[in-house]
Amino acid sequence: MIEHCQDFVEIAKGKGQPVVGIMCEFTPREIILAAGALPVCLCGGSAATIPAAEQVLPANLCPLIKSTFGYHATGKNPFLNRADLIVAETTCDGKKKMFELMSPTRAMYVLELPQKAGEPDALEHWVQEVRKFKAHLENQFHTQITDEKLRAACRLMNRERGLRRQLADLMTRDHPPLTGRQLIELKSIISGMEADLQQYENALNFFNQQQRQPRKSEIRVLLTGVPIVHGAERVLELIEAAGAVVVAMENCTGLKPILDDVDLDEADPVRAIAKKYHHLPCSVMTPNTRRFEMLRTLAAKFRPHCVIELVWQACLTYDIESFHVRKLAEDELQLPYLKITTDYSPSDSARISARVEALFETIREKQSS
Amino acid sequence: MIYAGIDAGSRSIKAVLFDTSQNRTLASGLADQGVEQERLAAELFDKLLREAGLERSKISGVVATGYGRNAIRFADTTITEITCHARGVHRLAPDARTIIEIGGQDSKVISLEEGGRVRDFSMNDRCAAGTGRFLEMVALRLDMDWEKLSMLAQQSTKPAIISNMCVVFAETEIIGLLADGKPLPDVVAGVQNSIATRVAALAGRFISPPVFFTGGVALQSGMARALEEVLACPVRVAPQPQFTGALGAAVLAGTRGQGKP
Repeated sequence: MIEHCQDFVEIAKGKGQPVVGIMCEFTPREIILAAGALPVCLCGGSAATIPAAEQVLPANLCPLIKSTFGYHATGKNPFLNRADLIVAETTCDGKKKMFELMSPTRAMYVLELPQKAGEPDALEHWVQEVRKFKAHLENQFHTQITDEKLRAACRLMNRERGLRRQLADLMTRDHPPLTGRQLIELKSIISGMEADLQQYENALNFFNQQQRQPRKSEIRVLLTGVPIVHGAERVLELIEAAGAVVVAMENCTGLKPILDDVDLDEADPVRAIAKKYHHLPCSVMTPNTRRFEMLRTLAAKFRPHCVIELVWQACLTYDIESFHVRKLAEDELQLPYLKITTDYSPSDSARISARVEALFETIREKQSS
Repeated sequence: MIYAGIDAGSRSIKAVLFDTSQNRTLASGLADQGVEQERLAAELFDKLLREAGLERSKISGVVATGYGRNAIRFADTTITEITCHARGVHRLAPDARTIIEIGGQDSKVISLEEGGRVRDFSMNDRCAAGTGRFLEMVALRLDMDWEKLSMLAQQSTKPAIISNMCVVFAETEIIGLLADGKPLPDVVAGVQNSIATRVAALAGRFISPPVFFTGGVALQSGMARALEEVLACPVRVAPQPQFTGALGAAVLAGTRGQGKP
């Protein structure tokens, strides 16, 4: 879908439509769409831009941050180059400080997230942040974001999330008609594009009637942890190549941001939008109770044989939180758990495969006895 | 019925011929690893067949394991070294509940259920600290062979503290220690302790006795003792520690009949 996204950005720019780069699922796309702009994800998934980033950033930093910054340094991301504004957020300290290094040459706006999301005043703070963001967009793009425009954007995004949920739900079947790799390939990096929604509908119709030949004793995997952005799908591929199908992805590029919709009945649409994003179970939140609730729900719904957690090297919040995820998987859900810590370079692929295969051998041995 | 197990490790290839009807190993052998690992493995396999006086057609199944397992195309199937070491150690020591395996570039801790099934395991990531690679680097740096290194460690009275968790940085640290005049035996013993500490961190939650130590590094005298100290429990070196992976592969080839994993 990437090439087609590039065309779409060019067409939009030609028509004078601004492009807003986003790097986090907390960024309320509805506000951007209501401002008449196009929200495009800019998270880097390529190992190729990392050496350029390491000239400035420490080597021991998460590859997603380094790759994203590398694109900034090398100027090789056409979407970043076309962006009129980049929205940053405070979901991790590495990204937060990286944004500071980008800001002298790029128009940036930082959203501050309340990290104790469960506190009574947290939502109020976040509603204010979203309101300030709305005002900033109105100011920069010389437009008025009316409630009517916001509601239209909410309906559009609710429809997009709904379609993506329906696609993900195909994986609940005993024999899912597509692989996790195919599912993630369907995901667009732009939001609210009518052409994409059409693609989602087509894919849904196609796979709904499709039968995929399951491999012998296929293992169902619940994948959790860090986002798998375009270009960084290696571990997902290794898992499925070892004889599994990834039935659910509890991460920012999977189910995490699409489970909740914006409440269209709420009188104040800004507040309704803020509420939807406020509850995202990101590992920067403390305590991140909702993530464990979500894992319980997904385990019941998608019936995995095991939980695999992916952690990008030097991603402290996910790495430390994995302690609780393992405990939940093994003690409560009674599912074997494997944590894979890696980055974007493929040099440890054989080693990752060995661990994944060994996990599957253990599961099959248990099944056959 | 006779089955073969081939363990294509990072440093050497190990092979075992196992007779399931007599429940015993007929032959085992080892060859240095190299670029053409399939040819090297085939030569080793042929050598064992000659030693045992067997035709290739008498072998009912071949399972390959180890990091190079997928390159051994004459094998009927592949099984990971985790499952194979577990099976091999269980065959030799049925009471084993924890296996520590330290090889040329890997280290693993495997916990076993009663009956020898793998309950849980952990394995080092990309980093080679806590593996045989560390000792190899030291041997190379000191221009010394493996056995000599092993003997040196025995003479240590006050092992050096090697704090770096990265092999590359640790090398610099070792050079520094030697430059400061730290006795050689203490440096080598320090390296062994550093490996043991890494492996203990890997083991984390699941060390239940009896603990068996296997893999090529188990042949280094001093290593088992270093592990015992950090884990605070007895560590027994598995019989024929280099061959437990290949033995497990051969046994699994037998029980799984043409080795369906």
